[in-house]
Amino acid sequence: MGRPEPRVDGRLKVTGNARYASDFPVANPAHACLVTSAIAKGRIVSFDLDDARAVPGVLDILTHETVGNEVHEPKFFGSGGTASTIHRPLSSAQISHAGQIVAIVVADTYEAAREAAYRVRVTYEEEDAATTLDSDGVETLPATKVRKEHKNPRVGDAAAALRAAPVTIDAVYETPTQHHNAIELYATTCVWSGEQLTVYEPSQFVHALKHAMAEQLGIDAEDVRVISPYVGGAFGSKAAVTPRTALVAIAARRLNRPVKLVATRAQGFTIATYRAETRHRVRLGAQRDGKLTAYVHEGWEATSRLDDYLVGGTETTAHIYDVPNVSTRVNVVRTDRATPGFMRSPPEVPYVFALETALDELAEALDMDPIELRRINDTRNDPITGAPYTSRSLMACYDEASRAFGWRRRNLPPGSMRDGDWLVGWGCATAVYPTFMGAATARVRLARNGATRVEIAAHDLGTGAYTAIAQTAAERLGLPVAAVEVLLGDSALPAAPVAGGSNTTASCCNVVAKACDGIRRRLVRAAMRADRGPLRGRKPSSVNFVDRHIAGEDGAKVSLADAFDMLGAPMIEEYAHWLPHGMEPDALKKLHLGSAALTGGAMEDRIAAAFGAELVELRVNVYTGELRVPRIVGAFAAGRIVNPRTAHSQYVGGMIWGIASALHEQTELDRRVARYVNTDLAEYLIPVNADVPDVQAILVSEEDRLVNPLGIKGLGELANVGTAAALGNALYHATGRRIRKLPLRIEDVL
Amino acid sequence: MPALRFMLNGEWRSEERASPTMSVLDYLRTVARLTGTKEGCAEGDCGACTIAVACPDKDQHAYQAVNSCLMMVGQLDGLSVMTVEGLARGDGGLHPVQQALVDTDATQCGFCTPGFVMSMFAFHQAGERITETAVHEALAGNLCRCTGYRPIIEACRRLAGLPPFVQPLAKEDAERLAVSPDEPVGFTAPRSLGALASALAARPQAWLLGGGTDLGLLVSKERQSPTDVISTARVPELKNIAVTADALELGGAVTYSAALPHLDDLFPAFGALVRRIGSRQIRNLGTIAGNLATASPIGDTLPCLIALEARVVLRRTTGARHMSVEDFITGYRKTALAPGEFIETICIPRLAGRQRFFAYKLSKRFDQDISAVIAAFRIAISGGKVASLRAVYGGVAPTPARAKALEMVLTGHPWNSEALAAIDAALARDLSPIGDHRASASYRLDAAANLVRRLHADSSGDEPSVRLEAL
Repeated sequence: MGRPEPRVDGRLKVTGNARYASDFPVANPAHACLVTSAIAKGRIVSFDLDDARAVPGVLDILTHETVGNEVHEPKFFGSGGTASTIHRPLSSAQISHAGQIVAIVVADTYEAAREAAYRVRVTYEEEDAATTLDSDGVETLPATKVRKEHKNPRVGDAAAALRAAPVTIDAVYETPTQHHNAIELYATTCVWSGEQLTVYEPSQFVHALKHAMAEQLGIDAEDVRVISPYVGGAFGSKAAVTPRTALVAIAARRLNRPVKLVATRAQGFTIATYRAETRHRVRLGAQRDGKLTAYVHEGWEATSRLDDYLVGGTETTAHIYDVPNVSTRVNVVRTDRATPGFMRSPPEVPYVFALETALDELAEALDMDPIELRRINDTRNDPITGAPYTSRSLMACYDEASRAFGWRRRNLPPGSMRDGDWLVGWGCATAVYPTFMGAATARVRLARNGATRVEIAAHDLGTGAYTAIAQTAAERLGLPVAAVEVLLGDSALPAAPVAGGSNTTASCCNVVAKACDGIRRRLVRAAMRADRGPLRGRKPSSVNFVDRHIAGEDGAKVSLADAFDMLGAPMIEEYAHWLPHGMEPDALKKLHLGSAALTGGAMEDRIAAAFGAELVELRVNVYTGELRVPRIVGAFAAGRIVNPRTAHSQYVGGMIWGIASALHEQTELDRRVARYVNTDLAEYLIPVNADVPDVQAILVSEEDRLVNPLGIKGLGELANVGTAAALGNALYHATGRRIRKLPLRIEDVL
Repeated sequence: MPALRFMLNGEWRSEERASPTMSVLDYLRTVARLTGTKEGCAEGDCGACTIAVACPDKDQHAYQAVNSCLMMVGQLDGLSVMTVEGLARGDGGLHPVQQALVDTDATQCGFCTPGFVMSMFAFHQAGERITETAVHEALAGNLCRCTGYRPIIEACRRLAGLPPFVQPLAKEDAERLAVSPDEPVGFTAPRSLGALASALAARPQAWLLGGGTDLGLLVSKERQSPTDVISTARVPELKNIAVTADALELGGAVTYSAALPHLDDLFPAFGALVRRIGSRQIRNLGTIAGNLATASPIGDTLPCLIALEARVVLRRTTGARHMSVEDFITGYRKTALAPGEFIETICIPRLAGRQRFFAYKLSKRFDQDISAVIAAFRIAISGGKVASLRAVYGGVAPTPARAKALEMVLTGHPWNSEALAAIDAALARDLSPIGDHRASASYRLDAAANLVRRLHADSSGDEPSVRLEAL
């Protein structure tokens, strides 16, 4: 661990041999094509399917008239279930959002299914739809009303502190609707073999999908297997179970033939989840020396009528700085849209944007360097509970980032830096992500020749989990990484948590290390008891596993093969489970039932989070207002780094996400009809390679002996937090114009 | 009787029927069962489906990267096709491109990787010099959502100096590919100008397909299902490029990529603009005549062609007629093409005397983004005065808009800041932009005026401007 090993799956990926869900060969598949709703609210009056049925090769058309109640009501993950929504398309004539599934055409070929889908005619009765935060007809409710366990962090008397503060900021910030747009489309293939169902679907949580299918289809969970060894990007979109899977399973059951669905890019905008638009009112109070005295944050988040999805990001922001008086409040706004869901750093991206921009406004009001303001308010303890951080290196990150960036050369006044036709601005912001962990199980098998197999139903979304887990086992067993085979993404393997909350490395490496330690104990015991063995009589703690040997401190050693012979067995298999600090023992039982429960962040007795500092340069063209970002430097500290190479990739990729989120990414809504406008990759702008600036990611070393046995913090969702604020702050520095609404647009600058 | 004959990863394949609605991507994944080629959008935006094709006619043996999702399966006929599965060496070793991507840790989720591999393969075996611009351009058609591109660009850089690694097409294979197959069903690729004219005369309702980068979308996205397609891509006469004393003449099947060296030579700003159309995959398939014939208000080449006073030759069985590109565009997505007629040649007059040509494209994202505003100017300055000016805007009206009021207020007047004072009012008369999610109406009008100011800054020197890279 700790070495920059190349990805163990790199070769499979460059040769096209890594199998994603829609790549699995199945015998004689039929192909499904979705028909989605043209209206956002109302009901289906009738279908005209004659033209569709006339297309040669059409096998079946599913509508609410054929499916009805065949799918049992799913339980929303926010209420302890696994589903992205309780909505069941094809259960009734009701339409609850634009682009919901209203029919599924199944045919011999994809072309026939698509042609027939084009010919399905639907007559609707349309009602007025409430689109977004300010629309007529929305319902706004405090989060505490809709989610019992929601807590609005608060401490002290923020109102009084605000009144007393000599310097205050009071501003409203907005973040847009965004879609994950992983390059892999939403695909599902269902294959029945008698009572048994196999689902090939890209998933961030195969055990949840397995149990969800059992519940929704009324079958035994032991009869369901979910296979998802490679996932073509997910970013949260493939975590909760979406309605399509059960419908594809039903289509396959009706035909007694495998059915394959690959939804189109446009359909992906409405049949799965998205990042909802948010609004924030942030008030800050400070002394003239920069010490914060009050922080008041109220958030509004769009959700659907059916499910109260909620990110509640003040649960992160309230704990970052040393503020004695904090008051927060979160509201959900119910609209006639699909239910939103997790998207990379769900709470942090919007809420940290608001807080970190407000801090920049405060620094401006104080005539103070914005990094200095953060230094003054740095803390070692949770300001809400007083509990200590397990480790925290925010200011070390700022120090390293500003050194690399050359921050000292920054002119303080806005509009004071210019290069030819370009106004130049430098901005900074804090990145933060709470450390989460989940109960996990794993099986490790070591053979006499060193061949090792690790089995764990974890998920590699491109993050490098295969590699990190292989490195962990290799290190514990004294083997090269190449000796370790890792199996992931299959519900037949020992259960592991959802690949969410950036917990995979912490949870899975800890449980795999624990299983390896079981193997070590058995081999060490055998080696110490063996007659005439070189390690006879040693203390178990005095030996280590190095280079295919069990070695004592004095150089005495026994080869693995000899140790196996001493044990008298050709291989050892160990199963382990691991419960992180603060988790109830029944978490394991829940894990086996597909529960996504995680622990971490602000706990009762401690608080765990990874931090970073991001510094950016932004340029504004004086003629056209065009924005370009020539460089960005981020420094991050996230405990023990299992693989600096994959960690570096996560940081660089994350900062690019942040830049795109600030400058390009917005799903546009037609407010009259609650529909999305730019539902393809030509119009939903993710960055192209030429947009990508000089990106520097610095790994700041940090040791954490408390957070978990291996000292690992999650980092996949760290680097895209704060970037948007840093860019907005840089835009202010360049132009003197404060844009409080993302994305930052040419029009706002010109 | 095969309707299609082509080579796939070095092996011959033939198919009985060329379905006009099946994409090459679907063919590869479901018929050929080669699932290394991925579907990420099915509309030419993401490049996950990139393959490389070589067309042995016209001495053109090089592999070019194309989007397999935009190609109809009929377009494979006579091509040699390489997919990601075909690259590794016989001994199981990786292709240098694959090795470079492994070495730089350039894969994360890996879903976009096969597409990048194929773009880099085509780039590498073409022997292009590895510069930052060339790398950006070669990769612009491939989207990656994980890595932030840095390691992929680094992998591309590492190809410098490595010899191309691909078996050249055997002579007998190349000859066999050049032979037309038996009459295909639903998809025809005539092999001569006469055959094309006859086919169109007999089937005037058939779709006339250039590269398919626009029509392919009608199938995958716009709910249309053609029953009959006629392709211009294999008509040798339409691939002709002639550089005469007076003009650049581009045949009706000349792709953006084929035209680029000549545009760079004669109208560098036009070339720079074409480099920002779609992606290299799109430019390898798409034709300038196709861009013209779809007559989109945001078609990138149209303002340039109109500013340069380009003319078209339209042909059908009964003869040919000539007209200006300005007259050819008759309305929103409407042209003067009569049934059975096709664009034989686009003729772009060379710059004469003191004429210089400038083109600008504004978009939010640098590459592969639909333009908010395009402007093309042909200007001649003499004695400090504007001797002549043709100014054409795209993205500000239902059709490319000639800014005649602007031309009038500037022509004959000194080219100075006083002249610039009048441009806003003139442009307000010329243009009627709409606001949409790409840009607001007022931004478009302001930007249109600012581009004249930029023209002033750029044309005050002596050098022709290629300032696009700076945008």
